[in-house]
Amino acid sequence: MAEKQVDVITLDIIKDSLLAAGEEIFTAIARTSKSPIIYECLDFASGLTDDKGNLITQGNGCAGFLGMLSSMVKEVIRKWADTGRLKEGDIIIINDPYGGGGSHIQDVGVVMPIFVEGEIFCYVADKCHWSEMGGKDPGYSLNATEIYQEGLQMPCVKLFNEGVLNEDIADIIRANVRYPDLSIGDMWAGVSGLRTGEKRILELCAKYGKDTVRSAINRLLQSSAEYSRKQVEKIPDGVYRAEDVMDKDVHGNGPFHVQVAVTVKGDRMTVDFTGTDKQTAGPINLALAGLHSAIRSVFLACTDPEQNVNDGVFEPLEIIAEEGSLFNAIRPAPVSCYYESMQVALDLVWQAMAPVVKKGQLTAGHFLTVGAYTMNGIHAVTGQPFVNCGPTLGGWGAGCDRDGDSCQFCTGDGETFNIPVEILESKFGIKITEYALHTDNTGAGEFRGGYGLILGHEALNDDMDFGGAYGRHERPAWGFAGGHPGSTNGFDFIRLDGTYDGPYGSGNRIPMKKGDIVRMVTGTGGGYGNPLARDPARVAMDVKNEYITLEDAREIYGVEVDPATFAVVGATQARKDFQAAQA
Amino acid sequence: MRIATDIGGTFTDIVYIDGEGAIHVNKSHTTPPNFEQGVMDVIAKCNIDPAAVKDLTHGTTVVINALTERKGAKTGLITTRGFRDILEIGRGNRPDLFNFNFKKPEPFVPRYLRLEVSERMDYLGNEHEPLNEDDVRACLETFRKEGVEAIAVVYLHAYVNPAHEIRTKELIHQLWPEVMVTASHEVSKEWREYERESTAVLNSYVMPTAKAYVDRLYQELEKTGIICPKYIMQSNGGTTTFEKAKETPINMVESGPVAGIYGAAMLGKMLGEDKVIAFDIGGTTAKCSLVDGGEVKTTTEYKIEKTDRWPGYPIKVPVVDIVEIGNGGGSIAWVDSTHSLRVGPQSAGALPGPVAYGKGGTQPTTTDANLVIGRLSPKNFDMDVDMDKVRSAIQEQIGNPFGLNAEDAALGIIRVANSNMLNALKLVSVRKGYDPRDFALVAFGGGGPMHAAALAKELNIRKVIVPNAASVFSAWGMLMTDLRSDDIQTFFAPLSHPDYGAINAQWRKLEAKALEDNAAKGVKASDVYFAHYLDMRYQGQDHTVKVRVPNDDLSPENLGQFIEAFHKEHFQNYSFRLDDSPVEIVNMHLASFGRIAKTPIKEIPAQPYSLEECIKEVRPVIFEGTGKADTKIYDREKLSPGMTMEGPVIIEEVSASTVVYPGMRASIDAYGDIIIETEV
Repeated sequence: MAEKQVDVITLDIIKDSLLAAGEEIFTAIARTSKSPIIYECLDFASGLTDDKGNLITQGNGCAGFLGMLSSMVKEVIRKWADTGRLKEGDIIIINDPYGGGGSHIQDVGVVMPIFVEGEIFCYVADKCHWSEMGGKDPGYSLNATEIYQEGLQMPCVKLFNEGVLNEDIADIIRANVRYPDLSIGDMWAGVSGLRTGEKRILELCAKYGKDTVRSAINRLLQSSAEYSRKQVEKIPDGVYRAEDVMDKDVHGNGPFHVQVAVTVKGDRMTVDFTGTDKQTAGPINLALAGLHSAIRSVFLACTDPEQNVNDGVFEPLEIIAEEGSLFNAIRPAPVSCYYESMQVALDLVWQAMAPVVKKGQLTAGHFLTVGAYTMNGIHAVTGQPFVNCGPTLGGWGAGCDRDGDSCQFCTGDGETFNIPVEILESKFGIKITEYALHTDNTGAGEFRGGYGLILGHEALNDDMDFGGAYGRHERPAWGFAGGHPGSTNGFDFIRLDGTYDGPYGSGNRIPMKKGDIVRMVTGTGGGYGNPLARDPARVAMDVKNEYITLEDAREIYGVEVDPATFAVVGATQARKDFQAAQA
Repeated sequence: MRIATDIGGTFTDIVYIDGEGAIHVNKSHTTPPNFEQGVMDVIAKCNIDPAAVKDLTHGTTVVINALTERKGAKTGLITTRGFRDILEIGRGNRPDLFNFNFKKPEPFVPRYLRLEVSERMDYLGNEHEPLNEDDVRACLETFRKEGVEAIAVVYLHAYVNPAHEIRTKELIHQLWPEVMVTASHEVSKEWREYERESTAVLNSYVMPTAKAYVDRLYQELEKTGIICPKYIMQSNGGTTTFEKAKETPINMVESGPVAGIYGAAMLGKMLGEDKVIAFDIGGTTAKCSLVDGGEVKTTTEYKIEKTDRWPGYPIKVPVVDIVEIGNGGGSIAWVDSTHSLRVGPQSAGALPGPVAYGKGGTQPTTTDANLVIGRLSPKNFDMDVDMDKVRSAIQEQIGNPFGLNAEDAALGIIRVANSNMLNALKLVSVRKGYDPRDFALVAFGGGGPMHAAALAKELNIRKVIVPNAASVFSAWGMLMTDLRSDDIQTFFAPLSHPDYGAINAQWRKLEAKALEDNAAKGVKASDVYFAHYLDMRYQGQDHTVKVRVPNDDLSPENLGQFIEAFHKEHFQNYSFRLDDSPVEIVNMHLASFGRIAKTPIKEIPAQPYSLEECIKEVRPVIFEGTGKADTKIYDREKLSPGMTMEGPVIIEEVSASTVVYPGMRASIDAYGDIIIETEV
């Protein structure tokens, strides 16, 4: 019997247990949280790293958090472990974007070392978006000029000392946030995830021995790196570039020039943003750890999105950005809407690589924005104050053999759920006027972009205000292979007297009166291929489904559709010419 | 005599208990698409006196098949103005995080059949805008023109005030009596419009198919002279009448599988074990569920077609809480892109099946691996097994990539399959805060008895029960069921200052309705019993925990007891409790049962064989850790109650084999069940 080889199977079995533990940590947090942004939006991530901070496995709600666990753990190692001050039972809290955090202050991480036989064996970490972290505005500010306005900063400090809660830290949090019960509840959810992770790792080490578990971890990282390199090798060597213009920030600075050069050489990929504009006074700056996260997810999308997620996978990937630029900002630049630049950086790589990777792997551009909004007010029935914040759905791009998906969250989200109308109305005492597809005639193509959203909220008293940060307000999602661009994102108001006010891309705490309606209106994704090549039967079906009008069918797609039977009755000259040219 | 029949992918099973309490079983081929034929075939095989049948219970896959094969009715949706796209939007979630070419679920109703009417309730159930009946008429015009066969009516906040849905349904009945209609509040009275809408739409979608099937089966049975009361197994672990099943067929979505879980709970009760883990391995999947206090747990978080990377479609009716993974006898072993050995979730199914079936299967499966290591015998298959072919498939596809011989490779497959199943068993036990050592493992299905002992050992479970009739155990479970219906009402009530009157009045309302429904099913009031559940949470939380509470009225005296029950359940599930945090009721859940008279099961008689005479053969079998051992193979049919065997042994029956590891002991109990003491 080949002893060593059977061990490989044991290692695989341990690997499965590690991955299962990662999922379990994730579930524990989701089910114990008290904030809607965690339990409905799953705006958090959790995972395990090895003793050097290399990610072993990650449970994700959001693609956007990919990579930010390792950066937190590495900061903990630098500050606490390397100085010999990390004890069993310690838990470190961290939300400093420039010190391991990477995103914004509302994303609060906790990290716990797991000790086996008296030494640090690995780390468990999670990071959750807390409903409230103080700062100048409830939820979070959309128009800060410095990070100090954005909330309470927790610069990698001990929340627990050897298993005992540091009440001083908890008191500081309570004193600095508007809804202490919610925020402390979020804290406990994070901690429960850590405990779950610790329990599982200790069980595994007890069963197999810590050296065997360590071998399994190493095998996982190594085999993942090997596989990942092979995937990069499949992409043709070359330098692929893209540039774009990013919307003005909330203060009117910009627009901003952004650019990327992706170099694929053999089994390595280098992504270089040199040449991108400097950081700005508006809160759309991105810290380096955040950039890493963005590029890691598009790296997976370009190679094999089904890979296990760990730091081995990203071994072939190098990321370069100039310090002090939008994508590698430095203190004290405000970062609360960091995700907008993160999405732009990711989209640049997407644009550069879409024509290069395997056909069909990448679609046309999507609506791109997180579409973060914050609504504050007083519940019209119960009189209780509320904060309602979250992301917005929008249209995705078409692919080489498919229409785009309608009303999905952007790539930076993921296992994120919208908030149901029935919950919005009962929880916040507002009225939802419509929750509908935003069907317009953009994003046309042989396959058309998916539709964005129209979501109307009516204030039922005078106490509400609204803020939003919608990227791609000025420039729509890009079309691919001759497909048309999609449409832009934003929000508008229909005031009680019928006045239309908007559309806006960003704004902070805009007051609303009883009977005013704020509508989030997001864009259609980009189309793929020439609209004149679209199957006429699909065009007719789009008319029947009221996605497009008869005129759109004729003018854009060159198909004549019978208005009563929705049968295809002919093709326009433009379509005939197009077909003739193809033949 | 009482009969239960269960339709599976390959076989239709029957289990019946005669007047003396003796259990009989049989099998016949499943006959798609006319599934009732298989039922009639298997009944015919048994030479039953139709007049002697006191009742019949049936489990069917008709509903799940119609859904997964998209063979339901053309369905139209009527909904609140401004909200027709809810069904298409769904929840916007994308579990396949890094796939930028993701495709979300397509709605079961296209946009041109999703029509809006003017009407509106607020979240308190106050009418904001009356129902515009002309709008409803206009919808019906369109639906008739389009050839719609079934309609779903879903209005916002119908869970709190269904008046507009009720009126709309009345109108439809007046104007178009033949068309089938589901109003959302009839299938779910919980908030979250997308989930309720999905449930209502899917119910309508399967209604015509289900009705036609139930009617055909009814007629066939009556023709044969089986005139007794007839029941259908539902996903909630109880049965309903044929008539009721046609109204809310979506309740049958997991008709068959849950019966086995329920059966495990009842067998546990018979044997004095009220804590059991039910474990069922079939051809393509393994299913498990935990039973505490003799009671199966239900959930309304069920989704069809959900995977790790796909959201699936929610069905918000109570379904027995089952964890199911793609690991069965037919699961394929393969080497993944990072050179790791994997088993499942792809399955060779019944066709081509494992290599051993000789029906064209070339990829090695768990069944093939069990053959190579000797746990299964080629002689126990009803076809000729080409062992050389089986061995070489494993050698070439698994052995060679890892540098292993066929036997070690086969053992590797079993270990990985066991590891997958172990994770599933942990999901229902340790991860929910239960210690498996307190439980007995009830193993059934074709593969359960083969893998159970190894898994029990890993989990430190001391006792494994392999029931008599293990391979037809779902049908056995159906014989143990009562009629059940669940009424879950979103009823938001903070318990810091509860309105006792309102809460108790709501229970009375739910109970009155349940008594009425049971009367309609022909159940006497004296045979109706209730179980009260509350879905509760800490203030500010969203997710709720289902808590079994006393059937007593809530009062200032016992309020503390209710709250404590919640704290305990919450702690059990999530390992923390917030004693200072206010607690809220979100849903009130009444489970009502209609008792069906049971025939007590008789102990089985001793067989005329000594233990030695029960041995079929002695063959070498490979076990993890201890390697190859000469193992006695017993014939289960010949074993008598009271006999005990020391492992390693294998006990074979027609369609299952029970593996007993070295160091374990197996015995036969009075009912013919195999009890394995794992000696952990």
